[in-house]
Amino acid sequence: MAVQSLYGVASLLASALFGAFAPAWLVVLVADAIFGAILLAASMLNTILLIWYERKLLGRFMDRRGAMHVGYAGLLQNFADGLKLFRKNTYPPREADVLGFYSGPTAYLVSSLVIFGVLPISTGWDNGSLPLSLLLALVIFSFAPLFIFVSAWSSNNKYSLMGGMRSAAQMIAYEVPILIAVVAVIVLSGSFDLTTIVAEQRNYWFWAPLFLALVVFVAGMLAEMERIPFDLPEAEAELVEGWNTEYGGMLFAFFMLADYLRALIGSILIVLLFLGGWTLPSYVPSALTNFPLAGIVWFMVKTYLVFGLFVWVRASLPRVRTDQLLRVGWMRMVPLSLLSVFLAALVVVSRCLPVIGCVPGMGR
Amino acid sequence: MSEMWINMGPQHPMTHGLWNLRVRIEGEIILDADPEMGYLHRGIEKISEDRHYNEIITLMDRTCYVAGIAWEHLYIQAAEQALHVTPPERAEYIRVLTEEMQRLASHIMWYAAFVQDLGLMSPFLYGMRDRDLLLDIFQSFTGGRLTYEYMRVGGVRNDLPPGTTAQVRQTMDWLMDRFVEYDRLCLGSDIFRRRCDDIGVLKANDCVTYGVTGPMLRAAGVARDLRKDRPYAVYDQLEFDVARADSADVTGRYLVRLQEMRQSVRILRQVVDWLDGHPGPVMAEHVPRWLGAPYAPIGREGYLVKRSYPKGLGFSAIEEPHGEAAAYVVNEGGEHPYRVKFRSPVFVNLSAVKKYLVGYRVADIPPILGSVDVCVGEVDR
Amino acid sequence: MASSEMKERRTEGPSSALWIAKPLATAARQFLKSLVRPSTIVYPFERLEDPQFRDRVRVASGEPIGIGRVWDNYRGVHALNIATCISCNLCAFSCPDLCIDMVTVPGGDPKHPKKCPQIDYGKCSYCGFCSDACPEGCLTMTTRYELATSKRSEMVFSPQQLYEVFERKLPMNPIRLERPENEDAILLEGPLCIGCNACARDCPTQCITMLDIPKPTAKPGERLPKRIWKEPVINDSDCVRCGTCISVCPKECLFWGTHP
Repeated sequence: MAVQSLYGVASLLASALFGAFAPAWLVVLVADAIFGAILLAASMLNTILLIWYERKLLGRFMDRRGAMHVGYAGLLQNFADGLKLFRKNTYPPREADVLGFYSGPTAYLVSSLVIFGVLPISTGWDNGSLPLSLLLALVIFSFAPLFIFVSAWSSNNKYSLMGGMRSAAQMIAYEVPILIAVVAVIVLSGSFDLTTIVAEQRNYWFWAPLFLALVVFVAGMLAEMERIPFDLPEAEAELVEGWNTEYGGMLFAFFMLADYLRALIGSILIVLLFLGGWTLPSYVPSALTNFPLAGIVWFMVKTYLVFGLFVWVRASLPRVRTDQLLRVGWMRMVPLSLLSVFLAALVVVSRCLPVIGCVPGMGR
Repeated sequence: MSEMWINMGPQHPMTHGLWNLRVRIEGEIILDADPEMGYLHRGIEKISEDRHYNEIITLMDRTCYVAGIAWEHLYIQAAEQALHVTPPERAEYIRVLTEEMQRLASHIMWYAAFVQDLGLMSPFLYGMRDRDLLLDIFQSFTGGRLTYEYMRVGGVRNDLPPGTTAQVRQTMDWLMDRFVEYDRLCLGSDIFRRRCDDIGVLKANDCVTYGVTGPMLRAAGVARDLRKDRPYAVYDQLEFDVARADSADVTGRYLVRLQEMRQSVRILRQVVDWLDGHPGPVMAEHVPRWLGAPYAPIGREGYLVKRSYPKGLGFSAIEEPHGEAAAYVVNEGGEHPYRVKFRSPVFVNLSAVKKYLVGYRVADIPPILGSVDVCVGEVDR
Repeated sequence: MASSEMKERRTEGPSSALWIAKPLATAARQFLKSLVRPSTIVYPFERLEDPQFRDRVRVASGEPIGIGRVWDNYRGVHALNIATCISCNLCAFSCPDLCIDMVTVPGGDPKHPKKCPQIDYGKCSYCGFCSDACPEGCLTMTTRYELATSKRSEMVFSPQQLYEVFERKLPMNPIRLERPENEDAILLEGPLCIGCNACARDCPTQCITMLDIPKPTAKPGERLPKRIWKEPVINDSDCVRCGTCISVCPKECLFWGTHP
């Protein structure tokens, strides 16, 4: 039987292991566990690959080579770094709130990992197709400021505190335009389900009609990921390392992994919402789309290209200041996102696209 | 958030060295600033009293680790005046060559570190890459890449090897193209302008009050440059303009330094042309090759190499990459100078930190202090 | 209070839009250049002193800029030719860091053991004054620069180790200093001399000979000084100005000065 989803893979494995002699509920449980393990491993491996990808790409932008010694072209460098961090000790500061100090990064990492459960990556590979998966993903995505602030506050460090304050202010400020920009997508696609949103893009990708929303969403995602030029919560020059100044060892690795997980999620969301997900335009020769797992492959290619865009931005722009960032967020991005919702509604009502032209039967 | 003091230093990514900036902040606004220097004090002035005239050169290279040869030049001029030695003209030209190359290297290093403070990493590596070409030229005739030990009382250690001038010309052409790239990355970027415009303002009269010199003074609109105003070496025979900007802010200092680099290239091209046409000695006559020993070796304290020179005083002031540096050497006739005193421009520029930091935001500290071009080795000596 | 203390500043930048196209284009151009070959020299595998990696900017600029053509005069670890070393101490005297000790090496007159420099690279500042001071050119600086070690004691290079560096025939600093004319010479204050032969005995270049001087006849009532009636004569062309004679002179009758 052709395995059409990740959960299908897990069930197949579970039934192959226990199917003969275990009750059905146990098989389902084991299948759930295997599903979770595969998801965890896949997201973690992708994150580490993403770090490698950024290092190599950034290296070329900076006229150097990036990691190159451990493994082929430095592929294993991040595992070596992780191993080093794993072996290091974490010392909470003397006056630190230990509970917050340890639970902050853990919750930050876990909340980022959970989002992968609702992200579809190809036709059928959608883990159950929740009707509100987009909303759920964004809700979990916006938990982060809380955890960052908890770990910053409990570190009992002035730099951490300032970084945490900046981070909370920045993330909340950019939550709003992101959500409003997403409303534009929802207006055009008529669904909160990511699978449906991708399916709606089979004729045209949403970036063209919703270009304004895309700009707002990308800028907001840059701020949410805390990447240059919006990485001022960890602004190294003045705040040492921002809200994770006091963290070392594995807890720092948690932060680092969660940061890149969020970068990956951001790229995935951009691909899903605006760049057609795993679909390719119809004029692409079918040889490129008719191989096993073609959807996943194209999806990953798009995701990494989008992330490459973030790396490019990182290599060419300095970071902005807090007040500028917040001013841009509240005074530019929010109106722009509202405008984009209006434009999306206009598209739906007029059934015309700015680039493609009028399409009968478009919209709902 | 209530008011609090935070220590930025002595180990802090912003400091570029070992010093402590204490700032009192309320939220993100700076209410007070208090620089604490002295973490890198090595007693260079005191050690100099126990070293022979030529051996102080090794200390000068370590005074400012990005502008070593400028400090050599500063010291050696004072020492020559104190010892009544006049270097040959070719040596003077070679010194100007090295000083201008050092100015380029120092400013490129400043550019790299400054833009990196703003969060942009690429210019750091571009700057380091381009600076390495200058260090390669330095290495080809001094033998060192950072600590040159090249100048001697009475001239310079050795003449330029053949091919150096051509290499300088090539590198200058290459650097001029890179400066355009630097400007595109910074001035062409609206974020950079928003970060740097109108912060760290230090007006001309405040500069004069506090004794602030160098690019900070020139960025405030004062065309003060010792190379023009009090020409030393052979600067009066070279054509160049004094870089100047009017905005007195961080962008102005950026513009001044970039303009100075272009002027340095202009100077270097003239110097190289002169050097090609005028071979000659690079060491004054009647100067001992090595001027005695500083110490008796352990176990042979009886050994004393007694030499003496006619007494004299030496004073020199040069336009170092960071500002106006001055040296004072007292020769009381012994083997070692009786007293050596240096004026460090960065020490003075940093002392006025309260004047140009209060009222801005915490996020403005790295660009403002980056624009000062802090070199702590020279601050503390 | 905070807002009142804020300094006046323009709220708008030079242009109202976030204008970022130029830096993005510059970085992209650099990216395309670096795709061919970044400027990095991958250090342990590629070395600046290798001629093939010397023109390192060729790729980035299209214009080769020869660097390191004179890499050979880099000031690195010293090489010592023990055979020509004359134990004159000049390197140790000229060292500003006191990192050179003169230690006995085997092979030499048992009465006057041969002493050669031992260098502590933990202290050395690579200024090159020692090799400039060396009159015989036996202590030179080479291009070797890798000294990483886990023990401090391994940073101290004995004369034999320095000789091993010499035997590796690394490129050595080709720029030699010439002896200046009119150098200070060692002069004798005759009446103080007691003719003890210490200077001639310890002179590393054997340029001092003890010549007889006529013994004056004592005037009545005057006692002649109790001494050997010889005086050192220094062959100025052979003298390396090391000052050993001054240091061994028991009567401090030798001193630095200019020939009349």
